[in-house]
Amino acid sequence: MRRALVIFVLVAVAIPLMLAMAELPRHGSPDAPPQTHVAPYYLEHGPEEAGAENVVTAVILNYRGFDTQGEVTVIFTAMAAVVAVLVAGGAGVPADRAAAPATTPVSLIVRFIVRVLAPFIVLFSVYVILNGHVTPGGGFQGGTILGALLIALTLIMSESDARALLPQRPQRLLQAAAPLTFFAVGMIGLLLTGDYLAYPHSGPTIWIATLMLTVVEIGIGIGGAMVVATIFRTMGADR
Amino acid sequence: MIAALWHNLDYAASVILFCIGLYAVITKENLIKKFMGLNIMETAVFAFIVAIGVVEGGEAPIMGAGVEPPFINPLPQALILTGIVVALSTTALALSLIIRIWKQCGTIEADELREVE
Repeated sequence: MRRALVIFVLVAVAIPLMLAMAELPRHGSPDAPPQTHVAPYYLEHGPEEAGAENVVTAVILNYRGFDTQGEVTVIFTAMAAVVAVLVAGGAGVPADRAAAPATTPVSLIVRFIVRVLAPFIVLFSVYVILNGHVTPGGGFQGGTILGALLIALTLIMSESDARALLPQRPQRLLQAAAPLTFFAVGMIGLLLTGDYLAYPHSGPTIWIATLMLTVVEIGIGIGGAMVVATIFRTMGADR
Repeated sequence: MIAALWHNLDYAASVILFCIGLYAVITKENLIKKFMGLNIMETAVFAFIVAIGVVEGGEAPIMGAGVEPPFINPLPQALILTGIVVALSTTALALSLIIRIWKQCGTIEADELREVE
C-alpha cells in the first residue's frame, strides 16, 4: 500500500516534469531564449567593463557583487549557527580528549601522504584563488581546496596540534574574512565612484577594478576555507 | 515526445535525479538519508540550470586572445555558484541539528522520533 503510494507520487511528479522538459527549446541551441537576451551583453562588455576576463567571475563579483556579499554572509551565518547549535548547547570537549588523536589512529601511509601533498595543495589553492579572473576558479573554489587541506591536517594531527594550526585569536577574524573584505572593498568603491560596491568602469583605471576583484577573491578564499574547516572541527569535536 | 526528450537528454537526466532524491526523502526514515535525498534534489536543479546555459560547440566564457564565439552562457553558472554555496550552508546547519537530535534523543530515525516526543 505504502509502496504503491510512493510510486504514484514519483510518477505524478516525473510525468509533468518530463512533459515540460520535452517542450523546452532544444538543448544546446544558440537561439534558445536564455542565450539571446541578457547573456550577449555580459559576454560582449564583461571583460572591458568589469576587469575580469572570466565572465563568470565578472558577473559574480562585479555585476552581482551585492548578491555575492549576501552569499558570503550566508556561509558565515551558517558557521555561526553550527557553532551555536553544537558548542553552546553541549558540554564542550573533555580535558582528557584534548591530547588524544583527533580520530581513530591514522595509518602511517595516510599521515605521510597528507604531509607530502600539503605544500602542493596550498600552492594549487593559491593559484585557483588568485587566477579566478582569468581561468576557471575563484575564491569559493580555491577556498574549498584550502579548507579540505585544513580538514585533512586536522585528521592526522592530535587535537592540540590541530588547534595550534589555527590560533584562536586570528581565527575569529579570519572566519569573517569574506564579509569583511567585501565590506572594505565596497567602501573603497564608495570612495572611488560614489556608490557602494561599485568598481571603476572601463578606461585606463580598469586595473583598479581587477585589483579590487583579486582582493575580494583572496578574502572569499580565506574566509571560505576557515568556515569549512571550522564547521568540520565543530562537528568532529563532540563525538 | 520521446524524440523531443532525446534531444533534451540532459534535462531528462536531471528529472530522473530529482525523482531519485524525492524517493529518498519520502521513503527513508533515517534523517541523514532524508537529507542526502534533499541534496540530490538540489543537485538535480543545479544540473538542470547549468545545462540550460550550454551552447552547442561553445567555449568557456573566458575572454582573451585567440578565443572565438560561441561562448557558453555565464549567467546560469554564476547563479548556481551562489546556489551551491547556500546548499553547503544548509547542509552544515542540518547536519549539526541532526547531531544535536542524536545527542538528545539517542536516535535519528524519524519514526522512532515520533514516539519519543
